[in-house]
Amino acid sequence: MPLTARGREILGSLPGVAPTTTTDGIGCEIVRRDELCIGCGRCVKACPSAALAESSRFDPVQLYRAPAGTTRGALGAALRRIARHEPNGSFEVPPRVRTFRTIEFDRTRCLGCGACTRACPTGAVKARPVDGREAGGTVLSSELASPVPA
Amino acid sequence: MPSAGAAKAAGEAAAPIAAEAAGDGAAEDGERTIIGFFCRECAYAAADATGNARTPLPTTVRSVLVPCTGRVGPLHVMSALAEGADGVLLAGCLEGQCHHREGNLSALDRVAFVQRLLESVGVEPERVQMFTMSAADSPRLVAATRRMHATISALPRLRRL
Repeated sequence: MPLTARGREILGSLPGVAPTTTTDGIGCEIVRRDELCIGCGRCVKACPSAALAESSRFDPVQLYRAPAGTTRGALGAALRRIARHEPNGSFEVPPRVRTFRTIEFDRTRCLGCGACTRACPTGAVKARPVDGREAGGTVLSSELASPVPA
Repeated sequence: MPSAGAAKAAGEAAAPIAAEAAGDGAAEDGERTIIGFFCRECAYAAADATGNARTPLPTTVRSVLVPCTGRVGPLHVMSALAEGADGVLLAGCLEGQCHHREGNLSALDRVAFVQRLLESVGVEPERVQMFTMSAADSPRLVAATRRMHATISALPRLRRL
């Protein structure tokens, strides 16, 4: 199960235990679709185990893949019109530009609690039960294929 | 648009400035278009003063009034470039003197972001530039627009798909 604040406190007080690094496969598998991400950072704020972080870099390919009808999609379409070649990798983003940042996901720190899924306004983050079925929003523990390991 | 005076002065100035551009050997493939986003508090007031003083501004610069340069986002700049502009100029308040606290600082960073975006797809980053000035500093606005005009004239027309 995902750890509560109290649980982390207790684990943190034990010597040699790092409560934020848990094994893979606890809770749900988190699936991110970066092309739908708008960089709002709500998942970063919602994550209880610091598995998500706003990086200081941005990859313009994300704009190319963004769906039409969104700001990022429009930006991608405009960029595509004037581009001389395909984007050549990510670049450092200036400090005051907050929304054009790639969200980094550290799978090894993820508890699989699905807080990011509930916080995401665009459906870019999905929580999937470990057996591979895709689920939108919250996944109930009764839907999980295997019982949560102790 | 700036006052009627500004437009008239710009009209009068068209001939010498076009000649100047031709002198740079840049106008063979047609006149460039530069979209200038002017902040209402500073740059637009400076443009008005320029018009009243009948100082010519390059005719390539088309001014767009914005309440603050902080309102201009990457999409405004990129849309202007994609829809026909060869360059985009932002003119706002001096650093630390934004009438909306930090709009000009945000705009400076966004311009840097768009420049890196352009660079990553092989477009000259100097097509997008930002200048800061006070409302009373119309010579600085004239210098900024002329510098932008010279920069864009020296570059080829922006190719679009």
